[in-house]
Amino acid sequence: MSLNVPDGVFSTIVGKSGSGKSTLLSLLGALDKPTSGSIDVDGRNITKLSDRKLIQYRCNKIGFVFQNYNLIPNLSAIENVMLPMEFAGMNKYDRLSRANKLLKQVGLDELKQNRRPGKLSGGEQQRVAIARALANKPNFILADEPTGNLDSITGKIIIELLQKLAHSENTTIIAVTHDEGIAKKSQLTFRLKDGKMIAN
Amino acid sequence: MGTISRGLRNAFRNSIRTLSITLILGLSIAMSIVMFLSLKAVGAKIDNVKSSIGNTVTVSPAGIRGFEGGGEALTNSDATTLVSISGVTKVTSAISDHLNSSNTNLIPSMDAGSFGRRQQQEERNGQSTSNQGREIPVGLSMPVMVIGTNDLSVTSNLNVEKLDVSGQTIDANSSDLVAIVGSDLATKNNLTVGSTFKAYGKDVKVSGIFDGGNKFANASFIMPIKTLQTLSGQADQVTSLIVQVNSIDKISAVESSIKEKLGSRADVVSSEDSSKDALAPLQSIKSISLYGLIGSLVAGSIIILLSMVMIVRERRREIGVLKAIGSSNLKIMAQFVVEALSLTFLSSLLGIVLGFALSNPVLKVLINNSSNSSAKTPGEGAMAQHGAMMRFAANGINSAGNALRDLHAVLNYQIILYGLFAAILIAIIGSAIPAYFVAKIRPAEVMRSE
Repeated sequence: MSLNVPDGVFSTIVGKSGSGKSTLLSLLGALDKPTSGSIDVDGRNITKLSDRKLIQYRCNKIGFVFQNYNLIPNLSAIENVMLPMEFAGMNKYDRLSRANKLLKQVGLDELKQNRRPGKLSGGEQQRVAIARALANKPNFILADEPTGNLDSITGKIIIELLQKLAHSENTTIIAVTHDEGIAKKSQLTFRLKDGKMIAN
Repeated sequence: MGTISRGLRNAFRNSIRTLSITLILGLSIAMSIVMFLSLKAVGAKIDNVKSSIGNTVTVSPAGIRGFEGGGEALTNSDATTLVSISGVTKVTSAISDHLNSSNTNLIPSMDAGSFGRRQQQEERNGQSTSNQGREIPVGLSMPVMVIGTNDLSVTSNLNVEKLDVSGQTIDANSSDLVAIVGSDLATKNNLTVGSTFKAYGKDVKVSGIFDGGNKFANASFIMPIKTLQTLSGQADQVTSLIVQVNSIDKISAVESSIKEKLGSRADVVSSEDSSKDALAPLQSIKSISLYGLIGSLVAGSIIILLSMVMIVRERRREIGVLKAIGSSNLKIMAQFVVEALSLTFLSSLLGIVLGFALSNPVLKVLINNSSNSSAKTPGEGAMAQHGAMMRFAANGINSAGNALRDLHAVLNYQIILYGLFAAILIAIIGSAIPAYFVAKIRPAEVMRSE
């Protein structure tokens, strides 16, 4: 199958549970290796990459947003955002100022930036996760059910934020969802059915 | 926030868990320190006992013990012969004699008592049968004993427990008319350092006064062997030889060489067998300590190993997140090693403190158990059987019995370094397997919903 998403576009993949949406996402993000076949991202076969190159790929090319946020519980919001930059080798001062800027961009004020995830609401945690995904200016942000744990109003706000960021940061966002409402808002929707992709 | 600070913070993430791991691991480190200390203390004591009693062979003329028995005395040339045996480091000769009012002006400091009177009676009976049944007057004076030696540092010849000399000691290899006098004898005769007394018709100068630690020794005096041999008319004669061997392992070889060279003229007694008995309880403490040490180190490693395995399994998802956002395996492993190290470091601090507090009480318990298992102090039997001159054998062996009571664990910076080293070793062993688990966790773990 092939997905063609232009830069800076917010796109969605919809499908029933068990249709393989999340698996597709983890293969795209090089979190897992396919048992057979190959995956070409930006013309590069990521199944052939060495372990070191794979780490670099995950670190610099991809940003992840998860359904249950997956923030590190004993680090503050800003420290969570700084983490990918640390892995990319950025110095501490730059990390701090970029993390601060990103968190402001997703709407988290400085008071809340120093709170641990446990002291933030679901929506706020997802904002932090989005800021973390953006940290290393990735080409793609892969979001797995980003609103799955949020109420409809907060979910709507998060989707709007993702749309806005796709545009302003010129990042391609691919979100997996089973929520048709979100799919309608995206510029591009792919349907996954019986392991086949149907573009809308 | 670097790998190290994350590892450190993770160590204190769950205070109850941190506390329990620290406590259990601390106890096991304390145990290993205690065992290490007792191993060292016992090892040192074993060396000490071996060097003090384990390496001597006593040679006496066949049939003679001090003033008892009968037979021919050994000679100076016998002593020279023994020095040539391989493994022998030193041969100390001694001779003794009794003086009474006919050949000295010294007044004995000991009362005869009933024991002395019986001995004197036996002597008289031997001299003339017509004296049989004669009443011995109460207050009969005892003879004054004199010992000649060529080495004052070998005290087992001198009937003393210790030899504290005030004033000047004597040159035991000289032929000077000098003596060191037992404190009781000196008091009785108003002798001080520098004064003289008569013996064998000569003026003998008091060079020093000694305390031998027992009444028997303090009632005697000690002279250079050559002087006593000449004065007492026992020229060239020796009644006791103490042979020192350079290693406890060579004692039996030396013992048989001596028997071969001197034949039936000498009785040869070595301290080997009795010292083995004396060392047995120490050896058992040593092996208990060694097993304890190994056991507690293994226990410590297992504690941290299982804790880290538990922690890693609990944080599978988090490890997946770190991998998904671009961390390398190595960085995550390092983070866990730092966490394990901080936990063990904290535990080792507690362990060192507990080790300080527990080492002596634990050593005491070990000693009590070991002394009970070898209740009969070796040497007691020997002491009862032999005469005065054989006291030395028992003395040495008693000191091995005392060795148990003298054991003390000593803590120093080496032990603290050892504790920290053990902790690092434990931490590395304890985080090796968890680190392998970390490497095996797939980043896709993060996608699993719980």
